[in-house]
Amino acid sequence: MINLHPTAQQLMTYVDGSMEPMMALVVACHVDMCAHCRAKVEQLQLTISDNAFALESQDNVSFGDMMASIMALPAAEPRVRPASPPTLELDGRSFVLPRPLRRFVDKTGNWSHLLGNLWQAPVDIGGGGKAQFIFMEKGGRVPEHTHRGNETTLVIDGEFSDGLGHYDSGDFIHMDGHHVHTPRSDADEGCLVFSVVDKPLHFTSGIARLLNPFSQLFF
Amino acid sequence: MLVGIPLDNQQRRSVQPKDCADEMAHHLKQVAENRCKAAFSQVFGYFAPRLRSFALKQTGNEALAMELVQDTLSNVWQKAHLFNAEKGSPSTWIFTIARNIRYDMLRKQQNRKEDICADDLWPVLCEQTADPNEVEMDEQITLDQLGTLFEALPEKQKVVIEAIYIEGKSQQEVADQLDIPLGTVKSRTRLALQRLKEMLNDHD
Repeated sequence: MINLHPTAQQLMTYVDGSMEPMMALVVACHVDMCAHCRAKVEQLQLTISDNAFALESQDNVSFGDMMASIMALPAAEPRVRPASPPTLELDGRSFVLPRPLRRFVDKTGNWSHLLGNLWQAPVDIGGGGKAQFIFMEKGGRVPEHTHRGNETTLVIDGEFSDGLGHYDSGDFIHMDGHHVHTPRSDADEGCLVFSVVDKPLHFTSGIARLLNPFSQLFF
Repeated sequence: MLVGIPLDNQQRRSVQPKDCADEMAHHLKQVAENRCKAAFSQVFGYFAPRLRSFALKQTGNEALAMELVQDTLSNVWQKAHLFNAEKGSPSTWIFTIARNIRYDMLRKQQNRKEDICADDLWPVLCEQTADPNEVEMDEQITLDQLGTLFEALPEKQKVVIEAIYIEGKSQQEVADQLDIPLGTVKSRTRLALQRLKEMLNDHD
């Protein structure tokens, strides 16, 4: 059951196009998984789109041959729905991804085994930060850390806790330098999350602190 | 010649999106079913200037704004059959297309920050450059391995690194505790980090 949603303000900036674009992808995925937020977004889009297009610029712009060159394009082939959507594979398991992430399956790098029970795969979504899938096997944990910037996470499959809360599939989690947490999954099936960070993490305890001078290599 | 139909700009200027939703929905249907150029020119004439205003506000850049207009309306022309009047108005549909393209453009742009100046001048050329985001992620390492690398450091460097990075002491505190000059702490830290970095790079 989804308990954590983007704030009203976050949904608004997502809809009007002014959100940081990596975070916008995470919000789009949450909206795909969450009927509650989808209804809100559809409502917001009605008003915002009419407002955005209410005013035409007063200067007479020439679009040159833009219209002609567009109409020279062929119609898109009617979308053939593949028998099954592309899935993310790990260790014999297949995960169905939220729709906005499916086109990035091909842009996902190989899984790396990070800790005893932790897996990570980078995703090339563009943007200034890093995007990745993280899979916590049962008992897998990320060392305690805080954030130099923003970390936005969506639970795709499974459950985990981090000392601050407990999270279930579909939950949207936004953290920054005010949060210190230790993500850990005790679910039998483990937990797959999608996470974007705009700056490296800062590890706060134990030997993991040795990672900090090199943290641009990790997460 | 249908392509040359004048756009009635003066009349159009004051019509609000919701007041011409039915008309635009009808045009989109014509585009979807008959590839009707006259219908598309009506859609283009109404939305292109509005999209440009929105895009200019978002990008602050004339070339990027026009790119966004072109990409959005190309999608409208090619995918008009995906418009569903029961789900929303043409303006909402076109707005969400533009917004999603904008987010994609932004992510691509940020990916090549060093090219931004060139991008302003030659947006088309930049679009064709190779994707630079070949992430250097194969340099992964486990915490156990990190512990092993750490153990391999010379004793004097290990003590300093442990105090600073694991216990969280300042370099001055470490100097006081070990009764050595601050400069020595700094040079041992630098050497140790250098060494760890070399070991991390050799790690494969």
